[in-house]
Amino acid sequence: MKNFREIELLSVYLDGQLNESESKRLETRLASDLELASVLNDLRLTRGILRKLPARKAPRNFTLTRKMAGLKPPLPRSYSFFRFSTAVATILLMFTFAANSVARLSFGFGAAAPAAGPAFGMGGGGCDEPCGEALQAAATEAPAATEAPAIEAPPADMLPAPTTDGTLRESEPSPDAVQTPKEPAVESELQNQAPVEKEAVIPVMWQVILLVVIGSSGLTMWLIQRSASRKWQ
Amino acid sequence: MDETALIHSAQNGDLDAFNTLILHYQDAVFNTAVRILGDEDMAQDAAQEAFISAFRSITSFRGGSFKAWIMRTVTNACYDELRRQKRRPTTPLEPETSDGEEMDSPKWLADPNMTPAQQSEADELEHAIQHCLDELPTDFRTVVVLADIQGMDYTEVAAASQVPLGTIKSRLARARLRLRECLRGFEELLPSSFRLEGERTL
Repeated sequence: MKNFREIELLSVYLDGQLNESESKRLETRLASDLELASVLNDLRLTRGILRKLPARKAPRNFTLTRKMAGLKPPLPRSYSFFRFSTAVATILLMFTFAANSVARLSFGFGAAAPAAGPAFGMGGGGCDEPCGEALQAAATEAPAATEAPAIEAPPADMLPAPTTDGTLRESEPSPDAVQTPKEPAVESELQNQAPVEKEAVIPVMWQVILLVVIGSSGLTMWLIQRSASRKWQ
Repeated sequence: MDETALIHSAQNGDLDAFNTLILHYQDAVFNTAVRILGDEDMAQDAAQEAFISAFRSITSFRGGSFKAWIMRTVTNACYDELRRQKRRPTTPLEPETSDGEEMDSPKWLADPNMTPAQQSEADELEHAIQHCLDELPTDFRTVVVLADIQGMDYTEVAAASQVPLGTIKSRLARARLRLRECLRGFEELLPSSFRLEGERTL
């Protein structure tokens, strides 16, 4: 068996890819070297057998459909307008939410400080909804308030005549006497809290309008796409 | 068929132009795939994938031999298919009967112009050659299929295989040598000239 370099040379010669001088040199060797000539013949016959293999025809057409090729239907120019308007409206909507959130946060911090002062001192402030209940509870704790007059009791001559009813009347706090100092505090707290909740940089109406724009543009885009793909098919 | 004009149209997204090119090359592409893969179903998949991939990347075609370019695509598709096959359970090359035995003369190889005896011999020879091709390493098989079965020249084979010209020469010589050794095992099926030559060299 010849070395591989010689076999490669023979293979290239067989395909007519050797230049003229190399071919002549090899042909001179082939005339004298029978083994080399025999290997060349083997390679020629092997190639011949491969070339005789029947060509297999395609069992079906491999032509591509638009779907297979990944092509999309051409869309009208108005589509890009709607796409742009949807994108802009979406960005604006996000901006409105962000702006309103920031506004609420900043007002919330500003309003929290003054609300905390009276709340701490009055034993019922600094809360949102339970405030009313707490104040009501405070109002019913009237006996605590009635004890104070007992300590700083007026002179006996100024007191009404001691009767069995009288002590009860004294111990019963009159609703006016208890609630009167509390009411202004409740109102002032509610007044302090109300602006914080109502504060919004961008009105809700604008957000609704933007939502409508996004929805209608998206729907229009979908309809355009659908009609374009139907026409294309 | 003005191939250059069709390629240019296809590069501009004209699917009909590309389909005309497909109709022209589909036999060569399928034949290459079936010889590299040794299985008709897999070859169909690879050919279809190759054409889809070719359409999507046709803008990257910068001139030269379109056949070599399309053969490179199908060769890559065949390599992908072979990699996929390694991950899946293997199926026999030959169709099986209901008893699970391989069919000697499968219907899919039948040629109505031959007598049954000729058909049988042709089938067996083709099986023998395909068997020897399958025994080759994939890189060698690809080169020998493109050069000796498709009749492409070295430059086209190098472009299709994306390897240097020297490597093509070397792989082709080695592949032919190995095929010759393998085919000696099927001498009774080979043409008489091949048998006699084989006996002389032995």
